[in-house]
Amino acid sequence: MKCARLASAYRGRAAGAIWMLAAAAMLLAVSGCSREGDGLGLPKGSSVLRLADADDVPTLDPAVGYDTLSWSFEQEIFSTLVRYGDADIELHPDVALSWESSPDATVFTFHLRKDVRFSNGRPVTARDFRYEIERVLSPATRSKGIEYFRSIAGAGDFIAGRTRHVAGIVIPDPYTIVFHLTAPDPLFAHKLAMPFAAAVPREVVERWGHDFSRHVVGSGPFMLKQWIGAERIVLVKNPWYFVKGLPRVDAIVDQIGVGPELGWLKFEAGQIDILGGIPPAEFPYVMSTPRLRRLTLSQTTISTTYLGMNCQMAPFTDVRVRRAFNYAVNKQKLIAVLNGRGVVARGVMPPNLPGYDPGLRGYAYHPARARRLLEQAKIGPDFHPTLWLRADPTTVILAESIQQDLELVGVHLDLKPVAWGPLLEAIRQPHNVELFLSGWEADFPDPENFLGVLLSKQQWGGNNDTFYSNPRVDELLAEAAPMTDLKKRYKLYDQAEKIVVADAPWVFLFHPVSYVIRQPWVHGVVLNPMRPTRFERVWLSPHRE
Amino acid sequence: MKRRAGAMELVGGAMVLSLIAVALLAPWLAPHNPIRAVAPTFGNPAPPSWAFPMGTDELGRDVLSRVIYGARISLTVGVAAMAITMTIGVGIGLVAGFFGGTVDFLLMRFTDVMLTLPGLLLAMAFVSVLRPSLLSILLVIGIVSWTGIARVVRAEALSMAQRDFVLGARALGASSPRLIICHVLPNVMPIIIVMAALGTSGTLLLDASLSFLGLGVPPPTPSWGRMIEQATMYFRVAPWLAAFPGLAIFYAVLAFNLLGYGVLRRRSA
Repeated sequence: MKCARLASAYRGRAAGAIWMLAAAAMLLAVSGCSREGDGLGLPKGSSVLRLADADDVPTLDPAVGYDTLSWSFEQEIFSTLVRYGDADIELHPDVALSWESSPDATVFTFHLRKDVRFSNGRPVTARDFRYEIERVLSPATRSKGIEYFRSIAGAGDFIAGRTRHVAGIVIPDPYTIVFHLTAPDPLFAHKLAMPFAAAVPREVVERWGHDFSRHVVGSGPFMLKQWIGAERIVLVKNPWYFVKGLPRVDAIVDQIGVGPELGWLKFEAGQIDILGGIPPAEFPYVMSTPRLRRLTLSQTTISTTYLGMNCQMAPFTDVRVRRAFNYAVNKQKLIAVLNGRGVVARGVMPPNLPGYDPGLRGYAYHPARARRLLEQAKIGPDFHPTLWLRADPTTVILAESIQQDLELVGVHLDLKPVAWGPLLEAIRQPHNVELFLSGWEADFPDPENFLGVLLSKQQWGGNNDTFYSNPRVDELLAEAAPMTDLKKRYKLYDQAEKIVVADAPWVFLFHPVSYVIRQPWVHGVVLNPMRPTRFERVWLSPHRE
Repeated sequence: MKRRAGAMELVGGAMVLSLIAVALLAPWLAPHNPIRAVAPTFGNPAPPSWAFPMGTDELGRDVLSRVIYGARISLTVGVAAMAITMTIGVGIGLVAGFFGGTVDFLLMRFTDVMLTLPGLLLAMAFVSVLRPSLLSILLVIGIVSWTGIARVVRAEALSMAQRDFVLGARALGASSPRLIICHVLPNVMPIIIVMAALGTSGTLLLDASLSFLGLGVPPPTPSWGRMIEQATMYFRVAPWLAAFPGLAIFYAVLAFNLLGYGVLRRRSA
């Protein structure tokens, strides 16, 4: 689920190799093409932001998309009640001018702006938000966002088809929407900041049915002009957008099928304005070239990369073995191998997550202590565990570094690089995978999204792939989840995290830092630690293409 | 003319022998453990120096030691895969050529079909299904590269089957298997040896390509193709990481080609 989104930032090894071949062929084909923006029917002198992506966008339907690429376009085309800031993870007004929640966090009321229109000119009302949430809840849509709205009163009856509308979504007037929840959820407003809860015009969805993704109409800063599968997506300014003066560029052209290597060549040739993700091959070169280094932006993501140990499979049932692994892996070396693109992890939560405990000590690199613990656990010299990992070049190098470290304490690690899909399948089966490399990126800025989702017993077979369980941790998590007093809430989560770190179901590795590079004529690009970059405030100074 | 052909095959033979020696003596020749970090050059490969004549890689490993140990994998794969290739190719070629008629027609059409499939793509498909390991790489390379040999051997066997000594042996009551193994095979042996030497360079390259695509022998075992693949990430800042294993592949392929062409030229001279 969300970890799949994290993975989409990486690129598969086989795909990478094929891209290397394709890149040469495509370079020949593209070099003869006319300038971007031509043939789009835009007035002369329009400012066009040119992007590139390796893969086609999976979908533009906000009820369906649940990956970084889909979200990066959906957040331009649609608007939600609330949203995160361009560079922060605070909730800001979007269509809702203001909102309030009951003290027990079971009733949330949103007051909407009256000047919001879809790109077809039709005014946006509270019904459009209810319609989209009901689409997500409707089993026919098969939305991955369904879990986020199950807690709304009456959602069960609606899903079962017993009611026409969700009883817990009340619309007292066209510009007010009230959500009644079955249990306290202080995070509910954050769930409405996901594209799953965007305003969508019912008449357009009903007209196109499953084809809505190709004919999306929303109320965001841009609207879809053209989507030629596996070739390009063109967004143009939405004339009805409710924030005056935005967006600052007239159009966005995203070229599809441009892999990292080709993307880099096109960036160097000035044919791409912003390159999300510098190819690993070029990273050291970029950072050692002052001219290019100045053009980069970086951001520590709210995510954690870890080595999971299956707590139900011997010898990882023994906490001494799990701690030994934590002492044996040199995390500073991993960061060095990544050329500094990471921050050493001391626990589960990333440093920029609210509730992060700066006092947590974690495990230092201490091979001697690791050896001692392994001896105590009676691990012999013939110990050959297998580490499953995603078959992508960067991940394989990280795994080889871990393999080297463990070799020094007498553990001979076998590596099993597999594709992302099979890896997720495999680690969800109990008693199947003893060790795996994985990562998690936040959906909401709250410790629950890490500790509860990844380490509670409830999530066995879901997202708790280490099959870790500690009744005390489960108690603390259950106590913290409905708590609205943030101080107390975070304290409970910090307590839970301490126990988890001591139990060591993971080797806590690092928090990745993401990089983008933009041309000198591109201004106003900021990175968000948890969401794709937004483009409505980006502008271009005059330049030669 | 004859002397030059001999020189070619001598040089080729010497090069092949040197490769075998390096592979066998790797633990004594390599200055360092090829898997362990021997210099703290993490993420920042170091150029060649006195201490590390081929530099160190992004995990602090000595490139020279890895190239030396890489000879083991490359030679094992090259030679063993060639043995599998030869077994399949020679078997099919001999049977088709000796029996002729329908057997020949069916086997050769099958060979034609296999020839139409691009070897590298077929190998990639097989390895993806089988999961990369030394054994699966050997099998896959063997399975995709026997066709050329089968055709050549079949052509030779076809003419042998009509020769007087074969007809004579048949008249004396020799069975077909006996005729194939004792009479035809020894006479097509020279061409098989040439094909094997030339083919080994092909299998070496195929192994390197598969490794380059990430489908070779899994890490940390050093293999030349994999070393080049990982080096592509650092090509601009550390070109030596790709250059040394590249030269090693070049040397090995040249060695087997010289040997093969040397034998071939001597035979036709």
